[in-house]
Amino acid sequence: MVAVQLKGIVKWLGKTLVLRGVDLTVEGGEFFFVLGPSGCGKTTLLRIVAGFLAPDEGQVSFGDREVTTVPPHKRNAAMVFQHYALFPHMTVWDNVAYGLRLRKLPRDETERRVREALKLVRLEGFERRYPSQLSGGQQQRVALARAIAVHPDVLLLDEPLSNLDAKLRAEMRGELKALQRQLGVTAIYVTHDQKEALAMADRMAVMKDGMILQVGTPTDLYRRPASRFVAEFLGDANIWDGRLVALHADGAEVETPFGRLRCPRPDFPAQVGDAVWVMVRPEAVQVAKGDEATSAENTFVARLVRATYLGEVTELLLRLPNADIKALHFRPDGGLPDEVRLKVAADDLRLLPRHEATAMAD
Amino acid sequence: MALWASLWVVFLAFLFYPVAFMLKGAVWQDGRFTLTFFALLLQDPALADALKGSFGLALTTTVLTLSLAVPIAFVMVRYELPMKSALNLLLLVPMISPPFVSAVAVRQLLARYGPLNQLLMAVGLVDPLNPPSWLDFPFWGIVILQVLHFLPIAYLNAVAALVRVDRSLEDAARSLGASGWRLVRTVTLPLMMPGLFAAASLVFILAFTDLGTPLIFNYQRVVAVRIFHMVETALENPSGYALVLVVMALSLLTFWAGKRWMERWQVQTLPRGPADGGEEKLPSPLAWAISLAILLVTFVAILPQVAVVLNAFADRWFMTVLPDRWTLRHFQNLLVHPLTLTSLRNSLLYSLASATLDILLGLTIAYLVVRRKAPLPNWLDSAAMLPLAVPGIVIAFGYVGAFANTPLDPRVNPVPLLVIAYAIRRLPYMVRACYAGLQQASEALEEAALNLGASPLRAFVQITLPQIVPHLVAGGIMAFAFAMLEVSDSLILAFEQSYFPITKAIYALANRLEGGAQMASAMGVLGMLVLALALTLSLRLMGRRLGEVFRL
Repeated sequence: MVAVQLKGIVKWLGKTLVLRGVDLTVEGGEFFFVLGPSGCGKTTLLRIVAGFLAPDEGQVSFGDREVTTVPPHKRNAAMVFQHYALFPHMTVWDNVAYGLRLRKLPRDETERRVREALKLVRLEGFERRYPSQLSGGQQQRVALARAIAVHPDVLLLDEPLSNLDAKLRAEMRGELKALQRQLGVTAIYVTHDQKEALAMADRMAVMKDGMILQVGTPTDLYRRPASRFVAEFLGDANIWDGRLVALHADGAEVETPFGRLRCPRPDFPAQVGDAVWVMVRPEAVQVAKGDEATSAENTFVARLVRATYLGEVTELLLRLPNADIKALHFRPDGGLPDEVRLKVAADDLRLLPRHEATAMAD
Repeated sequence: MALWASLWVVFLAFLFYPVAFMLKGAVWQDGRFTLTFFALLLQDPALADALKGSFGLALTTTVLTLSLAVPIAFVMVRYELPMKSALNLLLLVPMISPPFVSAVAVRQLLARYGPLNQLLMAVGLVDPLNPPSWLDFPFWGIVILQVLHFLPIAYLNAVAALVRVDRSLEDAARSLGASGWRLVRTVTLPLMMPGLFAAASLVFILAFTDLGTPLIFNYQRVVAVRIFHMVETALENPSGYALVLVVMALSLLTFWAGKRWMERWQVQTLPRGPADGGEEKLPSPLAWAISLAILLVTFVAILPQVAVVLNAFADRWFMTVLPDRWTLRHFQNLLVHPLTLTSLRNSLLYSLASATLDILLGLTIAYLVVRRKAPLPNWLDSAAMLPLAVPGIVIAFGYVGAFANTPLDPRVNPVPLLVIAYAIRRLPYMVRACYAGLQQASEALEEAALNLGASPLRAFVQITLPQIVPHLVAGGIMAFAFAMLEVSDSLILAFEQSYFPITKAIYALANRLEGGAQMASAMGVLGMLVLALALTLSLRLMGRRLGEVFRL
């Protein structure tokens, strides 16, 4: 199990600065995700790890081995491509055996490992087929088998599920995660789909404009984003303007357009009087009918503007004085009145800095 | 009226009927089916020898052309090289004249006491008393001229084949441990193979049926020359038909094989990675070395053309490396000699007519096929592409037989058939140019016009046509230029001097003893100018898409 370490990676592509000094450590055996919108530099980062691109500055190491200038074919970092990149002129068997033949393994060892890889992705019996005779999902599995057959030190995945339909994609998430566990291989997975990252990652990094904004476990990042961008990229968020009015030992108070909120202390340097953002996830907003009794803290009366039925949940748009708030209502028992009472637990609120620093909450 | 039906009438009359006529002539004698003429063909040692000769010639030319074109295409596409755009242009220069025109001058160049030997004597490589007689090896002379002339077409095809290779497949191979030659051999080349094989079949057919070059070198051991000599007796001796049919069968087979290979991997619709076609940087000395090597190749490839130009301006070129006196006399002679002036005027006329015909046919076919407005559009497309596979000598020979003693008899007046032959020969390129244009012109725009109340014809003329004018003009210019220098149809179909096109005049002049070669070269220079001008114009109009026109 090899750790991957990136130090101060800077990369220009033509006249664009694509990576602005990226530092990252992926532990051995970890399923690590790099998440970001298109054009954030995540694919470039992955191609630098694979060795297809050389960084202009910085270092790449696999364990103790520095590989910054090592060409791709000597890195033992197998990649699964977004469009699979299966060799159309080779059968499934030959595709999977390709890397093993290059490693000049004995015949029976090659055969054993091809079988093993095809078994792992549940594609036994397809050996003689050509890639064009397979469905998208099957092609995807061949690409995966081809990469894991060489027993890579690092497995790189470039949006491997993006060309599958929604149902298959959801299925493959579970399978990929289980497979990575079983192999114990260090894997780096690049995607713009936050659901994929949240569902599979041991840890993940969120990138924007060639920089890493935050690294942590999915729960960390979802519950405790360090910036407005991370908060919004990982899911729906209610975000309001606020002003810090009091700092206590166990919490803080913020003045918002619709009243005063009690919330946890900010984990960035801030003083009383500073402008901040206040965030809460829609599912953390508790909604009750207007007449039900609740405690007074962080409780407001709101008007129901719209209720959108989505099956397992109903999405509510509520209007407060000078602000709107989104909330989720699970298992609605009958309709909601026009006026509701909503409550937000102090622990579910989070303060975010107004100036987006590259705060690394590792 | 069904437009598509009239197109089929044209194909039937001028493409299928002549072939059918020859087929009947070859196997039907005295009311009975017979294969005697094919048997006679194989028993005639001279003809069997010629078949073997043509095969060997075409194979040698094809192998050499591709082994030159593929590496050049590879470095040109994949690496940053100095002078790249200039090299790209220079590589296309040999297209401006058919090898047959260069052959006239090169024959002089290779004479026993000609410039080449003079040069070799001067540097002491050749014994002045007993210089080698290069013309004793016409086979290699023809091979060299063909290789140099077909290089641009092979190069364009190789570039296309390479560009089509999905780069992420190479990345995948590298991440699995492949590199260098191994990567090229296991992934890049196999993926290029369909395109390369198609290019090879194209070059093979062109070389196999090249009439002009062997004729000038007076090399009898190729079928094209044999066929040419059989034209006079075409009607009396059905062996000619049999031979032409064998040639056509071989060409069709080669073409079909090339197509099959080409399609083998195209039907496989695997998702493609993003086209990340970056050029790699090379160490500067290496990049310069590669550029200079390519420059050297282009220089050699241009030599035959240079020889033509030198020859055209040479007053005295005897026992020296370069001419020692220059003159414009040969050009002045062109103006007074009856044969040259009429042939120039004839060629301009024929080419203009055939280019116009090509534009009409090409546009109609392309429109019907691209917009799927005709029944069996794929068949229509195949018929339009057929002239790539059916050699010029086959069509021309068929015309001589099929239209004898009709109002179109080429012996009486070859003009209509010459124009039609030229047009049919260049139709594939014209149709391609129109495909390229129509695929860019959005069908939705035309539908919008129809929706707003325009009639189909009006919508086409006002909306679609203006969008594809550059492609039409480019295609038309190319059709015109290639008609100007078309060889096999011209040599075979024009019998009377007064109807000679420029190429037949060059052929007639080249065989005259006194100053004929110089005058032929002077005419060649004029032809090259026309073609160069036409290519430049088309390149301006179509830009990089010009390459698409010359692919199989």
